[in-house]
Amino acid sequence: MTEPKLSIVDLTKRYAADLDPAVDRLNMEVEEGHLVALLGPSGCGKTTTLRMVAGLMDPTAGSIVVDGKEITHTPVNKRGMGMVFQSYALFPHMNVEQNVAFGLEMRQVTKAEQKARVAAALDMVQLGHLGKRQTKELSGGQQQRIALARALVVEPTLLLLDEPLSNLDAKLRETMRTEIRAIQQRTRATTLFVTHDQDEALDMADRIAVMNGGLIEQFGSPTEVYERPRTHFVANFIGQANFLAARVGAETGRANLAGESHYKVEVDGLGQFGAIGSTGLSGSSHELVIRPHRLNVSLHPGAAQAPLAGTIERVSYTGDALAVAVRIGDQQLHAQMLTSSGDLPRIGDAAYLSWAADDAYLLPAAAQPVRLAA
Amino acid sequence: MTVLEAPAAPERPSAQDEGQLERATERRNRRTYLALLLPGLLGLLVSFVFPLAYMVRMSFNQGAPDGVIVETFTLDTYIQPLTDPYYWRVTLDTFQMGVTVGILCVIVSYPVALFLARSTSKWRGLLVAIAIAPLLTSAVVRTYGWMVILGTNGLINSSLGGLGLIDTPLKLTNNMTGVTIGLVEIFMPYAILAMISGFGRLSPQLEEAAGSLGASKFKVFTRVTLPLCLPGLLTAFLLVFVLSISTFITPRLLGGGSVQVLATEIYDQTTGLLNWPFAAALSVILLVLFGLIIAVYQRLTKKIGG
Repeated sequence: MTEPKLSIVDLTKRYAADLDPAVDRLNMEVEEGHLVALLGPSGCGKTTTLRMVAGLMDPTAGSIVVDGKEITHTPVNKRGMGMVFQSYALFPHMNVEQNVAFGLEMRQVTKAEQKARVAAALDMVQLGHLGKRQTKELSGGQQQRIALARALVVEPTLLLLDEPLSNLDAKLRETMRTEIRAIQQRTRATTLFVTHDQDEALDMADRIAVMNGGLIEQFGSPTEVYERPRTHFVANFIGQANFLAARVGAETGRANLAGESHYKVEVDGLGQFGAIGSTGLSGSSHELVIRPHRLNVSLHPGAAQAPLAGTIERVSYTGDALAVAVRIGDQQLHAQMLTSSGDLPRIGDAAYLSWAADDAYLLPAAAQPVRLAA
Repeated sequence: MTVLEAPAAPERPSAQDEGQLERATERRNRRTYLALLLPGLLGLLVSFVFPLAYMVRMSFNQGAPDGVIVETFTLDTYIQPLTDPYYWRVTLDTFQMGVTVGILCVIVSYPVALFLARSTSKWRGLLVAIAIAPLLTSAVVRTYGWMVILGTNGLINSSLGGLGLIDTPLKLTNNMTGVTIGLVEIFMPYAILAMISGFGRLSPQLEEAAGSLGASKFKVFTRVTLPLCLPGLLTAFLLVFVLSISTFITPRLLGGGSVQVLATEIYDQTTGLLNWPFAAALSVILLVLFGLIIAVYQRLTKKIGG
């Protein structure tokens, strides 16, 4: 593999000596041209990490290396990063062109080149016609694009986005998501993207760093973190999940080339099932993760082999989705059903659940999560 | 022809009904607003508009010796100050003092105000209170304080003399220098308050954005911080200017009679010479001066988008 664009080594930030660190010995490598999402709940250290990379905050320990050069103590204005703030932070006393030209002006680019590059940047975000506008005359989405153009026009070493979509309404957020991703791929700008929205992260990122309590719980591609969560926290934070405490029995065979095996597992009150997980889990207790939409729900017995019988406890209909909660013994399982024009299931109806062994994933960590969120 | 059954419309008021309801509420609200404004408006009428009108009327009367006021309608009270070079001098001095005090006061208050506006410390409230605490002491007391400090045998002169830095005491009182120093300090709390409320557009994020785009600390200040502070600085300047040219105590006490500005002149005419019509005319002139400055201020704020 080639040298990473950005390496973060043991990066730590402690706001006060008597507090837990906001970012705790964080390690991460980002490949050139990748968009990496720092995903986690508020207070997980994702924004702190971004601000340290930007140079807006001094780390307590550790180092940040970009293009093989250590920049841990380089002042913010010498780092050449392009940052988009949550509030966009457009200069209110400058018009759109002046805002976008600011970074070029600081780099003492000639007036003629400034003009050409500003025009190109504005065209890139499809706002070439708004150059002379005052920033306060722009809508939220337009301000967002100007902020992006301002950050990209300097051809930054890294593009840093701090929750850039959280101030937009839901519809616009999805449009901008696609657009930012398209622009990022066109410019091949290596990007760090802070978000608390799992959909955003899954949709846009090449890699997702799921953060919790100042630690990275998992760093991987969207499919990896969704399909193969390493911890309870990751499985719970990304998408919805049913968790079942399982005793892992014998390996029943090799599942795939990735070194995973099939197991026989036993869940109290439900019985024995097939499951999939990394090798060497036999004989201990692990949590079983099943995504709601991977559960087959039938209102009639016999549709699947050896289904589990239960009763429907809750029905939630949202037009394109139908979610149900099914009680089996002392377990409540969440499942997704296809919506159809037929009758909706009612609370108290009998329901029969089944799932494929490949969809029941054993968390590699011990049954209890290593570190509980505070 | 078949008629399809239309889906039952949900029960809600039609758009027209809703609009009428809105208009009715609006009208009722407007009446409430007026009722609430009334006491304040009446107060202003009695305590401000009426005296002002009385003063303007007074300025067209004729002042006779011994404080006798001849009810008439003459422009003599205006012709005298506008033709006499002495009053031109006084007006010009007043204006100059206002500008100097305004500028100096803004310069010394700016760092304090900027610090307070940016502070996120839990002590911020206390610090703001301390910054404006001098307002708890009357300007008279503070002026006397300055007389003690600036006087011929005052703190500054005796210190400098004691250190052998000067042979003759600096002349810091009974002149415009003393008045200016005193006024700058006395009006600092007002300037600081005006600035803090005028720095609304300033945000740490804008400065961070400028830094991330390659601006040095100095450039961040000159290109972002200062321009965003301008509306606040201008408001503070205007406030201090207006306060300076209308103040009477400090020029009288620290000026020791040798500093004549419109305010002291008006005081002398009112209480010494008992020439109320003339004092009223001078007051009107001062008022016009205010008006001019406020007009300039409004044009400027529009220009810098405050």
